[in-house]
Amino acid sequence: MVKRLLNQPPDPAFDPFKRQPTLSTKGWDSALSRLVRRVTNGVTEEEMKLAHKLGFNGYLNYHLQASKIEDGACQAWVGQNAPLLGSAPEALYSLDQRIPMDQLIASSVYRAAFSKRQLHERLVEFWSDHFNIEYEKVRYLKLGDDRDVIRKHVLGKFPDMLKASAHSPAMLEYLDNTRNRRTTLNENYAREIMELHTVGATGGYSQADVRELARCFTGWTLAGRGNFNFDPNGHDFGEKMVWGQRIPALPASSGVQGKTDADTMIEFLVKHPKTAEYVSFKMLRFFLQYDPSPTQIAAVASVYTKTGGDIPAMMRAVLTPQNLLAATPKYKRPYTFMLGAMRATLVPSQVAKVDQLSFRYLPLLGQAMYQWDPPDGYPDRADYWAGGVLQRWNFATYITTTNSTEARMDANRFWNATTPASNTPDTVVDAIALHLFGGEMPDRLKALVRGYLAATPTMSLTRTREAIALTLSSATYNWL
Amino acid sequence: MSHDEHDACACDEYNDLTSRRSFLQTSGGLGGAALFAWAYPEWLPKVSFADSFAGERDVIVSIFLRGGADGLSLCVPFGDPLYYTGRPTIAIPRPDSSSANRAIALDNFFGFPQGMRFLVPAYQAGHLLVVHGAGLTYNTRSHFDAQHFIELGKANDNSVNTGWLGRHLATTSPMKNAASLRAITIADGLAETLKGAPRALPIADPANYGISGSGSTRAERQAWLGLEWGESIDPAKTAASDALNTINMLRNLNVAGYQPANGAVYPNTGLGRGLRNSAALIKADIGVEAVHLDIGGWDTHTQQDPLAGSMNGTMTQLSGALGAFWQDCIASGLTQNVTVVVVSEFGRNVRENGSRGTDHGRGTAMFAMGRGINGGRVLTNNWRSLSQENLADRQDLPVSIDHRDILAEIVQNRLGNANLGVVFPGYVPVIRGVTKPNA
Repeated sequence: MVKRLLNQPPDPAFDPFKRQPTLSTKGWDSALSRLVRRVTNGVTEEEMKLAHKLGFNGYLNYHLQASKIEDGACQAWVGQNAPLLGSAPEALYSLDQRIPMDQLIASSVYRAAFSKRQLHERLVEFWSDHFNIEYEKVRYLKLGDDRDVIRKHVLGKFPDMLKASAHSPAMLEYLDNTRNRRTTLNENYAREIMELHTVGATGGYSQADVRELARCFTGWTLAGRGNFNFDPNGHDFGEKMVWGQRIPALPASSGVQGKTDADTMIEFLVKHPKTAEYVSFKMLRFFLQYDPSPTQIAAVASVYTKTGGDIPAMMRAVLTPQNLLAATPKYKRPYTFMLGAMRATLVPSQVAKVDQLSFRYLPLLGQAMYQWDPPDGYPDRADYWAGGVLQRWNFATYITTTNSTEARMDANRFWNATTPASNTPDTVVDAIALHLFGGEMPDRLKALVRGYLAATPTMSLTRTREAIALTLSSATYNWL
Repeated sequence: MSHDEHDACACDEYNDLTSRRSFLQTSGGLGGAALFAWAYPEWLPKVSFADSFAGERDVIVSIFLRGGADGLSLCVPFGDPLYYTGRPTIAIPRPDSSSANRAIALDNFFGFPQGMRFLVPAYQAGHLLVVHGAGLTYNTRSHFDAQHFIELGKANDNSVNTGWLGRHLATTSPMKNAASLRAITIADGLAETLKGAPRALPIADPANYGISGSGSTRAERQAWLGLEWGESIDPAKTAASDALNTINMLRNLNVAGYQPANGAVYPNTGLGRGLRNSAALIKADIGVEAVHLDIGGWDTHTQQDPLAGSMNGTMTQLSGALGAFWQDCIASGLTQNVTVVVVSEFGRNVRENGSRGTDHGRGTAMFAMGRGINGGRVLTNNWRSLSQENLADRQDLPVSIDHRDILAEIVQNRLGNANLGVVFPGYVPVIRGVTKPNA
């Protein structure tokens, strides 16, 4: 099946580059190459070789069983550079809040760039947007959310992640449920759990449902320095009617029993067909293409329903060879673009820290981490990001020329310093193709890069750096 | 980008910014069409372009208050005792109170809180119009839906996927035919309001917009990028071509050295810097005819405190920046006229919640400012007391003026575009006398 698809030229009707007949339709446009581009934060020689060795299904399975992938070097780096990630709130609250934030962001960038569990890291990005929390509002609580909600369930079941999120101190604080009490209703979380986390804005609920759901969530708050706590004194024990679901009144003496009002509604929401649809739509949009078809959404949603929201099973339904061959291109977000450039040019063992990349360049590129204020997560739309090309071009120049130890390009990948005379436009283009595209670089781009290199009478490392920067800056590289 | 980032970018060309004069002298050779021909989007309806509206059309500055700004704090109905009943801890005291936080009366019913004080001169000069009870008539309390629908100019219609201001620009001829940049969002991403506009770019800092790396290969690399991106797909393809053209144009403008007129001092805030840069681009007369800016911080579910705390701070930022822009560009009079519009996605509940905040509501206040605006008043439509039976869902200031009424009149009378059916499809606006005839 896989072999047949690889040997078969893609259906021209589905070819997103059909208006560009000069583009290669070999390797680059195969289902396997498209899969590698979508499950990683940037194609590398190693990743492409692995994909060809394991085949389509084998490669996807490999990434969907992330815990089996040996990742010791990355884990060691994180352990050394971000020791606070496992800490309880009691150990974090009194620190200068920039310290836990720096450790969280730097380790997230490092893992996303250099972990071998690439799809796992892409899913962390996806779910961190789905359950977006702005760091500044919740500070150290975000570390627990990243660990116990996102990373814990990223390849598990969606209902478990949603439940963890509903109990997450960071989420309760971010969406103000800590202030949602019997006498002083606050609707913020009740609205967003429906609109953004489960059924979507067109799910069919009303403003009255939002208020009634908010009543169910009264008393869900925090204790101590940031641990989940249900406070019966803040709970409204009266009867609620949420979206046709009657939540019967309880005696005020029921105490912690009152928590079941919202637990019941969470169960209702995860089983709602609109949740299956909305979560499937978002996964398809993030991993496949901007405007998935109703058929594609229905196919993934049926997997959600059958498997109880099993994320790996849904991913298999998103990333089918058919879907990939038919997919229209996606424009990389700045984060993905930066990570790809890092993977193509840096040697992980030589990257001591990622501070400049995380704290200066991501904001310049427009996607400062965990700083998206509204709860809908960073936009996943080409038109939002399209205008930021100049920042990408300048970042490409930075990463190929800087002498900083955290981003010093591994020139040996592209340039033979021992025998400089052996470097030719062809050897450099081949090296760029290998390290930026896993060898599957479109012919038109190859020709343009070769032309830039051949425009001067002698080869130089300086011009080679410019050629790499231009390739990273190219339209081809910036579209998935 | 702040100044200390120049070195890291190796942006040597930032040091050779030249004056506007040299741009004007060489603009023939730097015109936007030098590198690429841009294509109009396919959906653009065929319209007949007038030769020029120059001198008769205003530049528009559009500001979005993200998060749902509480109109009852932005412009306080101090004449209604029910406003005070609903807000025991966060109401703005009456103008006749002795509190330092008392409202500044705009008329005998409405007033500005102290946070909005920097807009009082514009109001008194008759250049600032407050429109109260304005907003989206479509009933949603979702930030994202409401922002989306306001920016698109139509609610819940999948066939409308460009912004109202984008469609305005797409259906008018450029003020300057050679302009490489007609519209900008002062941000890292293009606002949906401008989606669909030809020659529109997000530029967070127009003073630092250039390609880094060696000066000796810059032109060659730019040409390479133009060629490579020339066969990409939209929206990135067009954005790249606009970026390349704009780099050439802005390199020759001294935006960083801009001196505001009339003693105006812009606050050093995001909006203050953004409006200062907007003024520089407008006065440079390079064909920029629409600028969009955002200011967040209005989602005041908790600790709203419009007297001294969070919302007071946000309002002070808004009025300080807009007040400076008024002084710089409107009070003094310009060769180029400017109209400012300020909108938010919705207002907030009349009653405060238990966290000294307010939850999502419906109607709010919007603003229009300019010499062509019939200002110095608070425009309302059938304003009624804030008693429960008069409120939307018994809790919110109702939307009694569709925000499109205000925008459409400005599009038609100040921006010189009669294609209202394209800018606001399927909507027949009520003309409410927001604008003055051209002076």
